[in-house]
Amino acid sequence: MMRVIVTLLLATAMALPAQAELLIRITEGADNALPVAVVPFGTEGGLQPTENISEIVRDDLAMSGEFAPLETNRMLSLPTSGEDVFYRDWRMLGQKYLLVGNLSPAAGGSKVQARFELFDVNREARILGETATVSADNLRTLGHHISDKVYKAITGNRGVFSTRIAYVTLDMENGKRTYRLNISDVDGKRSRVFLKSKEPILSPDWSPDGKKLAYVSFETGRPAIYVQELASGKRTRIAQFPGLNSAPSWSPDGKSLLMTLSRDGNAEIYRMNVATRQLTRLTNHWAIDTEPSWAPDGDEFVFTSDRSGGPQSYLMDADGGDVQRLTFGSRYNARPRFSPDGEHIFYVHKRENFFHIARLNIETGQETILTRTKLDESPSVAPNGRLLIYATQDGGKSVLAVISADGGSNYVLPSRFGDVREPAWSPFID
Amino acid sequence: MAISVGLHVAIVLFSLAGWSWSEPSHEPPPRSISARLIMPEPVPAQQASQPAAQPSAQPEPEPQEDAQEEARKEAEEKARQEEQRQEEARKQALIREKEKQEAAAKAKEEARRKAEAEAAAAAKRKAEEERRRKELEAEKAAEEKRRAEEKAAEERRKAEEKRRQEEAERKRQEKLEQERREAEQRKREEERRKREEQLAALAEQSAEEQAASEQARQEAAAAARAKQAQMASESEKYEALIRQRLSNAWYIPSSAQKGLVTTLEITLLPTGELASVRIAKSSGNTAFDNSALSAVRGVQRFPVPNDPDVFNAYFRNFSIQFDPEKLR
Repeated sequence: MMRVIVTLLLATAMALPAQAELLIRITEGADNALPVAVVPFGTEGGLQPTENISEIVRDDLAMSGEFAPLETNRMLSLPTSGEDVFYRDWRMLGQKYLLVGNLSPAAGGSKVQARFELFDVNREARILGETATVSADNLRTLGHHISDKVYKAITGNRGVFSTRIAYVTLDMENGKRTYRLNISDVDGKRSRVFLKSKEPILSPDWSPDGKKLAYVSFETGRPAIYVQELASGKRTRIAQFPGLNSAPSWSPDGKSLLMTLSRDGNAEIYRMNVATRQLTRLTNHWAIDTEPSWAPDGDEFVFTSDRSGGPQSYLMDADGGDVQRLTFGSRYNARPRFSPDGEHIFYVHKRENFFHIARLNIETGQETILTRTKLDESPSVAPNGRLLIYATQDGGKSVLAVISADGGSNYVLPSRFGDVREPAWSPFID
Repeated sequence: MAISVGLHVAIVLFSLAGWSWSEPSHEPPPRSISARLIMPEPVPAQQASQPAAQPSAQPEPEPQEDAQEEARKEAEEKARQEEQRQEEARKQALIREKEKQEAAAKAKEEARRKAEAEAAAAAKRKAEEERRRKELEAEKAAEEKRRAEEKAAEERRKAEEKRRQEEAERKRQEKLEQERREAEQRKREEERRKREEQLAALAEQSAEEQAASEQARQEAAAAARAKQAQMASESEKYEALIRQRLSNAWYIPSSAQKGLVTTLEITLLPTGELASVRIAKSSGNTAFDNSALSAVRGVQRFPVPNDPDVFNAYFRNFSIQFDPEKLR
């Protein structure tokens, strides 16, 4: 009897007290980019594609900084459709996602149809399966379209691979300095010259609908602000006031432009109604006020002013009231640009004689230096807020670089031109 | 106890039922009286008393007179005697008339008396008959009653007999039950005694072991506490390993924003292989949820303790919360 009691006591003592179920909290993810395998697309019907679709997609995903595409020569198999996929192969290669697809002629060979599928290797699940048709000479557009789909499916964000970049190049042509305003795909491919001038071209800015560019051209010998339609090439000089005419910035509704004019003696910020050309002066300060940029909600704008002694970024209400200094991190924080969500500004930050692109959280005031390059300028944010393009120096030449907006990756945009400056990322083009 | 009470109740109920059976009022009254009246039995002789004999109505005969008288006397005497005789004759005639009348009255009276007597006799006879009929009826009723009573008595007797038999049976059963109970009681007593003997023996043994047992208990409690602590520390160790694996496997999608939390419930096999995973609470962002699922699926084998207690307590089922602090 006693023994039974003792055993019971022991058993009770051994039993664990009631406890909450174990909860493991994961607060950090992998720092490296997501391994993704983009298998070379198959072809059917004797199609001879002029572009390597899978390579376009690989480059796009790599440029995003969020993906680390697998080199083709490491692949164990080259499936072109879901039936041929053996997850084990891709798991062994450490791949998290797998894109397969093929191309076939459509509409009598004038078009190409792509069929593509995206798989989550870990979950062994297909998460995307689509077909898309483009004209046969537009395969790069198809590639970027697929990149956008893949990016959206995995990250939940809209991809920017079908958007455009405007930028200004300077070359010697026939012994003369030649400025060109160019527009290209985000990967720098398919660039075309939009405007050519012997005089400097500056500050291109996309209209919110992506159909027009505003820029500053010195082609008349004096700075003037122009608005030019992309489709027709039709251009309008909207501002050539005495003195400075610079830094145009489209309002989110596309109806007005902010610009810097010195027609009243000092560089001040004005708002111009594009339709009526009516001007509203917004700043009135003895210091230089310039480089305005709208907040995404159109209620405020940021600009650069040296009213505190050196160039700093300021926030002002759209009607010119309630000015507020935003940057304090160093003596030079200029050319601010809002992030699409309105939470951050990106700007040129000078520290120890080097210029970096920095990011400021407007709410918290937290400043993050994003770039490791040294002579950085002209930040422009992608419409999804994930990437930032800016100009920097590389080997004595000015080049464009793309960096993730959180500073996680850096990608130098290949350019066949010499000096490349003044990049402007287009909005989403539907 | 309950059985014996029940038995008693049953017995009481049973005997009540027997008693009620002997109740004559429950028997229907005899209905044979009218039938018996149709065939009356002969009247018993000793009961009937004959009416008294009628007294005789004839009068007694008159006495004769003898007289010898002389001539005058004879004549006178004769005249007087004639007169006397005439007188006598008249008297005699009167007397006779009277007597005749008296006789007629007497005869009439006699006839009346006789008629009366006859009527009385008839009435008496009728009354007697009525009386006898009534007596007979009473006798018959008495007989019926007697028979009924006899029958009732017989039934009572039978019921009584039955009750008596049942009572005897009940008593016999009670006795058997009593004997059984007593036997059981004896058996229990015996068992208890044996158990007590065993317990006594055990107690004797335990008394020696008790000190050691107390120590063992304390040691066991301490060991349990130590085990718990060890289990907790073991679980923490594996928690950290799992956290690290999942962090490495988790690619936070760029659409993740502060405040997005996905909670997964996972079930592991003791080998560390994933048995199942499901979203317990979605973040509302499909890409984010999928990244968490993918991370869990991406861990080939979860680091789990070999100790089955620790595994079962912590790692067979648990939750993982994907709650990024550092966003891309």
